[in-house]
Amino acid sequence: MKWSGQDVSLYSQSKEFVDTGIVPLIPYSLSGSEKELTQLANQSELLTLFMKEVEEEYRGRIFLAPSYTYLKETSIDKEIERINEWTERMEAEGFKHLLFFTFDQQWKKVERKLNPSLIWLPLPQVDDIHNEEAKKVLRSQIDQVTELITAYWQE
Amino acid sequence: MSDKKQPVSRRQFLNYTLTGVGGFMAAAMLSPMVRMAVDPVLQPKEGGEFHATGTEVKNITEEPIRVDFSFEQQDAWYVSEVSKTAWVYKNESGDVIAFSPICKHLGCIVKWEGGQGNENQYYCPCHGGLYEKNGANVPGTPPLAPLDQYKVKIQDGMLYLGEVIPNKVV
Repeated sequence: MKWSGQDVSLYSQSKEFVDTGIVPLIPYSLSGSEKELTQLANQSELLTLFMKEVEEEYRGRIFLAPSYTYLKETSIDKEIERINEWTERMEAEGFKHLLFFTFDQQWKKVERKLNPSLIWLPLPQVDDIHNEEAKKVLRSQIDQVTELITAYWQE
Repeated sequence: MSDKKQPVSRRQFLNYTLTGVGGFMAAAMLSPMVRMAVDPVLQPKEGGEFHATGTEVKNITEEPIRVDFSFEQQDAWYVSEVSKTAWVYKNESGDVIAFSPICKHLGCIVKWEGGQGNENQYYCPCHGGLYEKNGANVPGTPPLAPLDQYKVKIQDGMLYLGEVIPNKVV
């Protein structure tokens, strides 16, 4: 389920079945070279796509939160505090597995300070997400991500 | 002209021409109205369309296989490419049956023989829902209804799938 009117009403009715929250972490900035900015925007586009696919596969057990967007320039400690607050709120509502997905490496270094599980994915190097070759690459990555989530459920 | 030989009188002639011309004029006015009134009937039925899957019918066995297909769909605001999946197999009498993989519990995607030890069943990884090969939900697992079916059409040996309908096999 996701953060939309229709899904949220389903969520309220079947809360006890939804125990996994996923949140994409998306950096945003407009200062940088063309290449850096393209890469940032690609991160956002791809992660949104990944999360949408994962949500569709497991929509009965997963809740996809709105993207957590942050300025690349903000100090990371501030963001950690906010993320832990998000986590706390969701845990209070009965979520057992909280998974934060990102392509941004800086989270990997501070992973231990984060309460939720952090899943860092390497950014797939594709020029155009709509061409057939790229679709295959992305499909296989998405399948691996969905596999990973089932692994959390088997704990 | 002689008075005796008058097969069509002036009065008759004018009557015929006026009725004829008038009739055409009336038809010109009425036919667009009639066309508009019956328009909904003539429209191709939405959802009645079949989509090519690129799967040959001869490759379908008694073991369900996963068939992915996509097509363009117009929503209220934009046209988008929609991807769909089906589990397809042939039953004992050779008919092709296609199931929607959407779990009837909360909408996750079910897999044929997914999970562990679920032979000859569809398995939903979210809450452990199980379905038999004919789509019937296994009692005691969360789903309360059998898997939905796709309408199936076979043309030139290729499989086409249409709208989703309630399970008719069970």
